[in-house]
Amino acid sequence: MKVIAVMPAFQEAKRIAEAVRGVRPRVDELVVVDDGSSDQTAKEARAAGAFVIRHRVNRGQGAALRTGTQAALNRKADIVVHIDADGQHDPQDIAALLQPIKGQRADVVFGSRFLGIQSDGMPLVRRVVLRGGRVFNAYALGIPKRVTDAQTGSRALNRRAATRLLERTTQDGRAHCSEMLKVLTDPALHWCEVPIHVRYTADTLAKGNQTWHAAEIVWKLFLGKVS
Amino acid sequence: MLIQLVLTFVLLVAFLTTWKRARQRAIGFGEALMWSVVWVSADGVIWRPAFTTKIAHIFGVGRGVDFIVYTAVVVLLLLVFQLHLAHERLQRTLTKLVQRDALHEFEQEMKTKK
Repeated sequence: MKVIAVMPAFQEAKRIAEAVRGVRPRVDELVVVDDGSSDQTAKEARAAGAFVIRHRVNRGQGAALRTGTQAALNRKADIVVHIDADGQHDPQDIAALLQPIKGQRADVVFGSRFLGIQSDGMPLVRRVVLRGGRVFNAYALGIPKRVTDAQTGSRALNRRAATRLLERTTQDGRAHCSEMLKVLTDPALHWCEVPIHVRYTADTLAKGNQTWHAAEIVWKLFLGKVS
Repeated sequence: MLIQLVLTFVLLVAFLTTWKRARQRAIGFGEALMWSVVWVSADGVIWRPAFTTKIAHIFGVGRGVDFIVYTAVVVLLLLVFQLHLAHERLQRTLTKLVQRDALHEFEQEMKTKK
């Protein structure tokens, strides 16, 4: 089975090479989507061994993931893996993400930070907000309550699930995680979660979702529904 | 009296601009007519403010000016929401264009590598 990893990246010149080198040996191909960076992200990623697609304008992580997923399907991927470019995700977890799909037990596998493996450096506030996110996802979006990680960015999809993702998601920015969870936990797909290890640093915390972004996510999901 | 004259002048400019844009086909006839009704009604209210008090009483509001303020707040909120929706749709269109361009460029690059 051909496995292609998709790594959205924006202004990640400092960290992208290490992230690419960690992921590249564990997949058949790695596509970095440079989301309109003005630094050397694309150059560094290419030099480290990735294929690079460039958005001329910054469109957000959700948009970059869709572009990368489409490119992966065009390149005949059987499994598409989404993984962050900032080195938060441990590349060793890719094997666990792939296993249920290779064993035909799932169409989609989500990496979860709340299934027993302790994340390094996750602030307490983030932990609380993510718990709240689970409640919001369940009652406002209809996402199954047994999904343990409300904002996971680590997932693997077979072709069927990846095609569904492209057909049914539109969120470009921070709300894409919730929207993808909603679309990919549809009863038409078999899904499961596996524990993953995430490592937060001062850099990644500064760049990643902030607590107050929860309100923006809710607003964007609402606009996405009515527009 | 002076404020009534100033506002009437502003509304006259808005009225004339509306029909100028209609002649240039920037807006449709129906839209121009709708805006004309808005400008003329606004001018009517400026010169006969007591009329708004009558309408305000129908809706259970004491003063005409309060009624206008409440109505304006609701209308402005609706307009801001409409702008948000239009902005959202525009953003999606832009994303589609950027994605199409990026994928095309990537395919070309892959072909030349072969």
